[in-house]
Amino acid sequence: MSLHPMKLVTVICESVLEEQVVELLRDCGVQGHTAFDVRGSGSQGLRNAEMRECGNVQIEVIVKPEAASSLLENLRAKFFEHFAMVAYESEVRVLRPQKF
Amino acid sequence: MDFFSTIESNLLSPAVLFFALGLFAAVTRSDLKFPEALYTALTLYLLTAIGFKGGVAVSEAGLAAVWQPLLAAVGMGCLIPLVAFPLLRRLGGFDQANAGAIAAHYGSVSAVTFIAATNFLKNIAVPYESFASAFIAVMDSPAIIMGVMLGKGSLSRGASRPDQGLRRTLRDAVLGRGVLLLVGSLLIGMLSGKRGMASVEAFFVTPFQGVLALFLLEMGMVAGNRLGDLKKVGPFLLVFGLAAPLVHGSLGALLGTLAGLSVGGTTLLAVLAGSSSYIAAPAAVRLALPDANPAYSLTASLGITFPFNIVLGIPLYFEIAKFLHR
Repeated sequence: MSLHPMKLVTVICESVLEEQVVELLRDCGVQGHTAFDVRGSGSQGLRNAEMRECGNVQIEVIVKPEAASSLLENLRAKFFEHFAMVAYESEVRVLRPQKF
Repeated sequence: MDFFSTIESNLLSPAVLFFALGLFAAVTRSDLKFPEALYTALTLYLLTAIGFKGGVAVSEAGLAAVWQPLLAAVGMGCLIPLVAFPLLRRLGGFDQANAGAIAAHYGSVSAVTFIAATNFLKNIAVPYESFASAFIAVMDSPAIIMGVMLGKGSLSRGASRPDQGLRRTLRDAVLGRGVLLLVGSLLIGMLSGKRGMASVEAFFVTPFQGVLALFLLEMGMVAGNRLGDLKKVGPFLLVFGLAAPLVHGSLGALLGTLAGLSVGGTTLLAVLAGSSSYIAAPAAVRLALPDANPAYSLTASLGITFPFNIVLGIPLYFEIAKFLHR
């Protein structure tokens, strides 16, 4: 079984941003994504998710290694200044690289 | 019934007592917690139920009786941000974006405060126009759009940022889940009328009070969790959070009286004018005015104005309405 190196880009941000982040991913040529509701705390305070307005969403996508940093750069440019957002990449290995 | 006994009858209603329990649970950091899905479900139920009831009432009263008060409600939605914005700018020292964001929250309405007010009127046996829930549907959108446009003023002067957000704001303000569901249920209620009501009454009317009590328990916790943030927002917003509902509520009462509403209906319009949003406005404003700090608007709206209205505001607006109708 051969596994191919890819990047997993993870975005954790305010729930209200989900639609815009997914839109940006699409614009960057990302094929799909996985999103789940999360809660936590950070520099912008507690996000306890008791209402959607004060909850977070975590969005994950797998992309080709060369695409990850430009994706992160786009996220930084569009959201970091005004919104609560953490975004990072990590190494993953997949069975079917053509899927991404 | 004198003023103190109306306040007392409000304080001792199950809804307000459950609200107090929620506040207590939050303040004591109890592990009592509603899942977010239940919060959403209860909101959806309450909005659908009052929308439907309002629609049936409109179909009975006829549009001729409704349009004037409805226009007054739209007027309130536009007027409040215009009144609040300069106050927030000049007296509060807020920048344009924050003043616009807070103005949008206070112009738009809290459906739950409205429901608690209808409850209150029912308890003291004061009749009201049941079509009043149609007011909620028409006040939110103009207020949000007005507040956002006021808040964006600084951006257009800077002109560095392309304005891609306004269309999205319009969509969020007009088609956001709250307004969409409310307007939709209203239309369904109007179309299906009294016969339709008979078929869904057991679900939308009979359990309503219980659902409201449960929801206010949750809202007590939500509001209570905000109390810690009160220290961060500064004394002006504390005063604003208490004074703004009174000023806006009085304006609403005046306009309701002029539009020919009964004491009950006037009270409800005053309650809507005095209330501030925490469903439609926060999400729409967060995206449209990203420079604004949501801690200000949401804390003032949820931590100060909402509890004030639930506990004291509603009987106060009723007294104001009674006074104006004398």
